[in-house]
Amino acid sequence: MADEALYEFLHSELVGYVTEKSAKENKKDDLSALEYMGFSSGYRIIERLTKERPRFNDELDTVKFICTDLWSTIYKKQIDNLRTNHQGVYVLHDCAFRFLSKLSSGRQYLESAPKYVAFTCGLIRGALANLGIKCLVTAEVQNMPGCKFHIQVQRS
Amino acid sequence: MTVHNFYMFDRYGQLLFYAEWNRLRQSGITREEEAKLMYGMLFSIKSFVSRISPLDNTSGSREGFHCYRTSKYALHYMETPTGLKLVLNTDNVAVNVHELLKQIYSQVYVEYVVKNPLCNLSEPIKSDLFEAQLDAVVKQSHVFTSKPT
Repeated sequence: MADEALYEFLHSELVGYVTEKSAKENKKDDLSALEYMGFSSGYRIIERLTKERPRFNDELDTVKFICTDLWSTIYKKQIDNLRTNHQGVYVLHDCAFRFLSKLSSGRQYLESAPKYVAFTCGLIRGALANLGIKCLVTAEVQNMPGCKFHIQVQRS
Repeated sequence: MTVHNFYMFDRYGQLLFYAEWNRLRQSGITREEEAKLMYGMLFSIKSFVSRISPLDNTSGSREGFHCYRTSKYALHYMETPTGLKLVLNTDNVAVNVHELLKQIYSQVYVEYVVKNPLCNLSEPIKSDLFEAQLDAVVKQSHVFTSKPT
């Protein structure tokens, strides 16, 4: 894996570039480009991570894999807390999310927090999409550096 | 032993950050003026030291100026290759202050300013987290143990 700092710096440049571009096109706070980049990265990385793995038993098993293996590969730690209502809603709580941990430990810069979690929302969505789960991923930041990712599985 | 105050300047002499702990006497001028005065003095000492040195400083020896001492306090100075200047005033008995300065640079400045995309590197530091971490690192260090009597 490439140096962690490089990924951090590249990610913040990505955020800066995308927000500047959307501001120029008069689409304020349009993070869909960022989310899509995360989606395709997640879609690809999961292929590499699961190549030596047997198939998953069920949906919960798959989400657990995201919390442990995917997270520790990318963020060098595991998700601190996983909750589910067993009806397709999962909440992943990371108490010290890497892209926020350098920003603040309180409410300062809170208005910029969504920009730094959009990529990761896409990453989760992409990873699950390639494992056959269609879903919606949103993030919620109340107190930095903690972050909650909500996964809502879409059943057809 | 104690730490009095801390200044951080960028390559162009702008005051990036100032903090104080046990400063018993204020200079009586505004912070900006004081910073200019401080930077001017450091700049002069640096060129003085490099000119007056009887030894060849260019061949592998340590970077010119690193501290001065008066009867009451000592000023410790560190400059990074990128021109960032860190200044820490302590009392006379403090030892290993350079370790602390390096720690402030690598564990606080790099981590919480350089790695924070919301901090503009050419502007004074506004991050609360940086301030809190700096305070923690200084207070934990062995240099900062007792208040001056």
